[in-house]
Amino acid sequence: MNESYRQTDDTDLVKASIEGDKLAFGEIVNRYQKMVARTVKGMLGDSVFAEDIGQEVFIKLYYSLSEFRGEAKLSTYIQKIAINLTLNEIKRRKRFFSMFSQKGNNEMYEYEVADFDSEEKREASEIVNKALMRLEPKFRIIVAMRMLQGYSTKETAEILDLPLGTVLSRLSRAQGQLKDILDKL
Amino acid sequence: MKTPDLKKLIIGSLNANSDSEEIAGKLEKEGVSYKFSNGFTDKVIDKIFSASSTVTREIEFVKSMNYVFCRIAFTGVAAIVILLISIFLMEGSVSINSFLGLGDTYDESIVCLLTGN
Repeated sequence: MNESYRQTDDTDLVKASIEGDKLAFGEIVNRYQKMVARTVKGMLGDSVFAEDIGQEVFIKLYYSLSEFRGEAKLSTYIQKIAINLTLNEIKRRKRFFSMFSQKGNNEMYEYEVADFDSEEKREASEIVNKALMRLEPKFRIIVAMRMLQGYSTKETAEILDLPLGTVLSRLSRAQGQLKDILDKL
Repeated sequence: MKTPDLKKLIIGSLNANSDSEEIAGKLEKEGVSYKFSNGFTDKVIDKIFSASSTVTREIEFVKSMNYVFCRIAFTGVAAIVILLISIFLMEGSVSINSFLGLGDTYDESIVCLLTGN
């Protein structure tokens, strides 16, 4: 779709997108959709709804590009939008389920088992998804940042706007919770 | 990777000093990868730019409504003024008092009106 922008850096892509260049914005979406998918699907489960949130992330990004001053990396900016929208969706689901459903917190997330080329890979994906969905959202986000995105503790703290100490303590508590969950799986 | 090894890797990824980038890469190789469906970019672009054209159409509609309103309002005001003038001319009572609505009002009647006597 946008071969001409493959080599263009983020700053120029942002400038072109602000001027209404579809191809430039398409390149931003191509570049960062995998990162957004890891955050959104890691937090909400691999479902159609997660895909909708993913689209919303980029739509919100497009309309807020003029506010992007380039002080932080574009990836960090997108990641923050993705996290905010995902956490809002979790809150919305919690409200909905507490009002209209008897289902527990663990069951309000769903995921579709994608096609895998081996049974081992399918099992690995299922274990990770199940474990993530059973974690409390505040721990899940930290685990998703570290385990799925590969961010360091410092980067995680920066993206989540949390003090480093808080991230470290949540990491250790998340590890404990995750151990218990994985033992039962 | 066997399930117990995978579990170990997951737990290990949360150690503060672990190389999370390497672990994320390993997990991806093992099948823990997330991606959106094919055509995701096109869907996003369509949504953004079709919404933009809807907004543009709405703005154009509001602008044309404003234009029509101005035309109607000015024409209406002009018609009312002409009608008033023609009525006053026909009745022969064009005066500043009648414009101000003071035609039949005398000082005494105002005093009566204000004092109630």
